[in-house]
Amino acid sequence: MKLLLLGMNHRTAPVEIRERFAVPDLVPVLHKLADAEEIQEVVLVSTCNRVEVIATTHQPEAARLRLGDFFARGGLAASPVEVEAEQLYEFWDRDVVRHVFRVASSMDSMVVGEPQILGQLKDAYRDAVEAGTCGPVLSRLFQRGFSTAKRVKNETRIAERPVSVAKVAVELASQIFESLDDKRALLIGAGEMIEAAMVSLQREGLSELKIANRTVAHADELAARFGGTAHGLDELDTLLQGADVVLSCIACDEPLLSLDRIQRALHARQNRPFFLIDLGVPRNIDPAVNDLDTAYLYDVDDLQDVAAANTEEREREARRGERIVLEEEQRFDGWLVALQAVPAIRHLRARAEAITAQEMGRHAGALQLSDAQLEGVEALTRSIVNKILHAPLSRLRAETGREEGLAVLEAARELFALDDASAPGGHIDAELQATSSPGSRDEPHTEPGDESGEDAGNAEESEERHER
Amino acid sequence: MVEFHQIAAALYLAAGVGALLGVVLRNGRIERGAAWGLALGVAVQGLGFATLHRLHNAPAVTDLPMAVSLMTWMGALSLLALMWRLRIPALAAVIGPAAFLGAFMAALHIVDRPEAGLAQSGSWPHVHVLLGSAGLGLLGLAGIAGVFFLAEHRRIKAKRNVRGRGVLPSLEALDRVNAIALAAGFPLLTLGLMTGVLWLQEVHGVFWFGTSHEVWMVIAWGIYAGLSLARFVGHQGARQAAASAVAGLLFLIFAVVGIGVLA
Repeated sequence: MKLLLLGMNHRTAPVEIRERFAVPDLVPVLHKLADAEEIQEVVLVSTCNRVEVIATTHQPEAARLRLGDFFARGGLAASPVEVEAEQLYEFWDRDVVRHVFRVASSMDSMVVGEPQILGQLKDAYRDAVEAGTCGPVLSRLFQRGFSTAKRVKNETRIAERPVSVAKVAVELASQIFESLDDKRALLIGAGEMIEAAMVSLQREGLSELKIANRTVAHADELAARFGGTAHGLDELDTLLQGADVVLSCIACDEPLLSLDRIQRALHARQNRPFFLIDLGVPRNIDPAVNDLDTAYLYDVDDLQDVAAANTEEREREARRGERIVLEEEQRFDGWLVALQAVPAIRHLRARAEAITAQEMGRHAGALQLSDAQLEGVEALTRSIVNKILHAPLSRLRAETGREEGLAVLEAARELFALDDASAPGGHIDAELQATSSPGSRDEPHTEPGDESGEDAGNAEESEERHER
Repeated sequence: MVEFHQIAAALYLAAGVGALLGVVLRNGRIERGAAWGLALGVAVQGLGFATLHRLHNAPAVTDLPMAVSLMTWMGALSLLALMWRLRIPALAAVIGPAAFLGAFMAALHIVDRPEAGLAQSGSWPHVHVLLGSAGLGLLGLAGIAGVFFLAEHRRIKAKRNVRGRGVLPSLEALDRVNAIALAAGFPLLTLGLMTGVLWLQEVHGVFWFGTSHEVWMVIAWGIYAGLSLARFVGHQGARQAAASAVAGLLFLIFAVVGIGVLA
């Protein structure tokens, strides 16, 4: 069985291509993909930044062609999409595991550490479970991916510090004010930056938002959307007296908020502190305002410096996250190899038993043994076979838990001419059906993020069961 | 009895170290753990004071180590009360070691027998020490909050190391601690001075001996009267208020500990 991932993301394909794969309902797409004989399990991840199909297959080449065809046809889009070869990436087996774990941990995101991707992956997994296209291997892969993401989040500071200018401003405000719940914000301007900041400020629960703009109608529009009040710039002096956070991003030749103006406002406020954020270029607030004791002024460069430093820190933390991903990847790989080893072990034992039975049958008549003697010889041969097999089987079992496990398994298959498919009870899929509770293709299983069923498909347990 | 103060000292030290680690490692959980350690220390030392009072009707609490111990205990207790509403566990990084010193000194100097003079003085010495210590403890807390405020103000103004929400208290929280501690501490100090005067009057028939302790405490009262006026009547800015509180704290250390040792 092979794991295959084919996809594109914000680094490899422009949004014009990616958006063609955006579908509100993934279930029909999943059904269409899973209908193909060469695909056993499939999950489709479709976000604004990535489209990825993850599948398990016993026919790697055919599956690769099938998924390539899916991208060439534009998913379920009405017309084909011209996807160039370099816009697609392709991973196999262990690389798929690493990629999924990195994506879940937000280490492959445009903004490293952003939390949305984990929710999007859970949605994709849930859709596949609902569509019945997610089997035990992909189920295990995603469950491990979610727990890897949780580990990375808990054990590193990958998502701790804000990287957008608006969020940095809000975080700074929280270093000045104990709570923003009872604070009032004055926003000067009505452009995109102001809008982005309003979203962050509103999320923090500011009690009052006032928007001042040259064109009051534009301010009105924003105020209606965010539940604030609109004002003209002529009211600035009065508005400043009542505001705790002032955010300005408006076109002006000279600073709109001069030192003198802020001093007057501070006097009227009886020296209650101000947090001023100047996102305008040219600057809207006189830089000398920062020299006043109770006014804290940050301009766009200051905020960008903080955001850039935070981004660097996230990247540093992401490097720590890579180690966690590697550990989890090795664990998953061990599980997968162990799972694949069980049919081989069973096959080897069955073959030895068959040879013993065959040879006993061939020579029993010629030896003219009594029943008791025959039993004794049978026991002897069984014992010899078991002792001969003990060392290689133990070794095989031990090696499956290691990184080189797959190579050892392949060597054993080659050496003993094993064909898992013809083994009694035989194929790995049968093994999976027997061992894995989460997610048979027909049977929905654990919910995304629910890790209670995580060990249900434990390969060591299954191996033990079969050995018995 | 001594054991209570020893255990409290250990808890305060652990709380102080924990809070410091929480600040350095930017770990809110460690800080909260330190706050619980401080609370436990306050409770244990409170038991120590209660036991002392139960065993000796007029315990010796007017000597310098016991008075300092009571002050730091009051300071820690006030911090815990303020922590109920404000995110200020980082202050335990300073209050913890201060309370440790107080409890440690108390453990070394606890007098098993009541002072003869105090036993005949009724309740005034105790009311005086209790109110005075509470006032000084709170004013000390205002000063410590002031130190934190000035450091934070400087950091935010200089735009250095301002990435992300830290574990240090916000400027507003520190300013509130300063204001509340001053608003409560100054009247308590005033009452402490008044009860001291009443004590002298009752025992010695005079209001004023002119000892260095009396002189410096009156000067301290005058200073804090000025600071309170500037803060609450003159609408002093938060930074000036913090700087004033730090200056007041330095003066108090000199007036209480310095003069106490010299005397």
